Amino acid sequence: MNHDFLDMARQVLDRQVLDKNHILCGKVDDIEIEGETKPKVAAILIGNGAASERLPELFRILSQKIFGKSVVRVPWNEVDVITHQIKLKSDAKELKLDERTGPVYDFISKLPLSWKK
Amino acid sequence: MRKFLEIFLGILTAMGGFVEIGELVFSVDAGAKFGYTLLWVVLLGTVGIIVYGEMAGRIAAVTEQPVFYLIRQRAGYAAGLGTLIAALAVSLLTCSAEIGGVALILKLLFGGNYYLLIVVALVFFLVCVWFMSFQVIERVFGLLGLMMLVFLAAAYYLVPDWSQVAAGFIPQLPKVETSKEYFVFAYFVVALLSSIMLPYETYFYAAGAIEDGWNAGDITLNRIIVIIGFSLGSLLSVGLMCIGANLFLPQQIEPQLPGTVALGPSLIFGKWGLVLALLGMFFAFGGAAIENALSNAYNLSHFFGWTWGKFRPAKDAPRFNLSWMLIFVVAALIVLTGVDPVEIVEYSIIFAVVILPLSYFPMLLVAQDEDYMGPFKNGKLANILGWFYLILITIVALFAIPLLIITHGGKG
Repeated sequence: MNHDFLDMARQVLDRQVLDKNHILCGKVDDIEIEGETKPKVAAILIGNGAASERLPELFRILSQKIFGKSVVRVPWNEVDVITHQIKLKSDAKELKLDERTGPVYDFISKLPLSWKK
Repeated sequence: MRKFLEIFLGILTAMGGFVEIGELVFSVDAGAKFGYTLLWVVLLGTVGIIVYGEMAGRIAAVTEQPVFYLIRQRAGYAAGLGTLIAALAVSLLTCSAEIGGVALILKLLFGGNYYLLIVVALVFFLVCVWFMSFQVIERVFGLLGLMMLVFLAAAYYLVPDWSQVAAGFIPQLPKVETSKEYFVFAYFVVALLSSIMLPYETYFYAAGAIEDGWNAGDITLNRIIVIIGFSLGSLLSVGLMCIGANLFLPQQIEPQLPGTVALGPSLIFGKWGLVLALLGMFFAFGGAAIENALSNAYNLSHFFGWTWGKFRPAKDAPRFNLSWMLIFVVAALIVLTGVDPVEIVEYSIIFAVVILPLSYFPMLLVAQDEDYMGPFKNGKLANILGWFYLILITIVALFAIPLLIITHGGKG
């Protein structure tokens, strides 16, 4: 891998995101760029709302109906290490990227032996 | 000793999990229609699934990245999503057919209402996958699925001339009465190739390698498992085709039900042959239903980046666990509508061909990429075979749906 530059489309976009404790936090669904003359990466965007914007209109509407349109913005300075995955400096909970909240978690965690490996 | 046991169990599970309702029906039906003339397709498909199974396992062991990580990275979000939806549909239909198949087997074994038995099968699968670990699932269903070997034993007694069987491994066209039958033959070539190279096998195999904690040191283990396991599984397909050719072809019977297929072992070995065949089918179809449901949950999790895996507590991977539960429920609802499971699997197998190139192309790109794989990238042989099969399945994919329509699903 060439380390002199970072190919955002190939080495960051669509990669797995992990928090500092290696909890999976979703994918890099889009990248926010700021500045017109000297563009700079401002943040990575995680969530179906961001990913679905990359689809043609009809599919975007369908995708948002099925998978929702949530977007979490993670500032670029939160990115810690880039390998084939993107590791963040913070905790998934702090960034509101932890799956272990909400109705799906409530249902699964109430089933018998849900704590058992 | 521990390593040997791991290899042994891996081979057995690869073999036991290989044959599902689609392959069973297509193999016996192919033998009943065209004798041994389709055996070369089994050989062709087996080498193909070995090539891509090995690649999927090696990529998973080296990079810890399963198939849909790679599809999304290499094909991008839109094309990746298209592949995901197609893969979900195919695996859902296959899972549905396997649940229907299990209910049919239960009906043959114990009697009772078919629809009630679908619900029983659904509850059985939900309980099994929830309470059993990944290793227990693969070993129980893989090993007990080996009762299917009774079909191989029956074929041994049924085949009068093994030189004719050997001749079937040379690519050939059958002697047919009308030109229309060539289309039916072509349909069976496509269907058999697809049923052997079903994409869920690689999705599940790669995810399973990560579930089992493989690393680069397990590459030899991976190679041994895919070569011996898939080859032995194919041997079972050959046995099924021989049963079709010797038992059903002379009687002009086209077996369309798993129960009819079980006639082979029952004629040779009597009551116990029948019981072994039915139990073997129960575990083989059951294993395939679980593989398809888990495969879909893996694919969704890998595509969207959710926490996944049976190796962690269910509450830590809530979306993954809810996914396989929902797949089972929707799959059972499909067969509860009364649609014939064998008809479902015929369609799912043909549609599976269409997604084969979309699944295997990113895999091939990554497996030959030194940046990803380092010293474990594809060698010359893997690259040549990989590209050959990619071109072959792309051509086959183009003809799959037209052949399905022209031949009315192989019925002529």
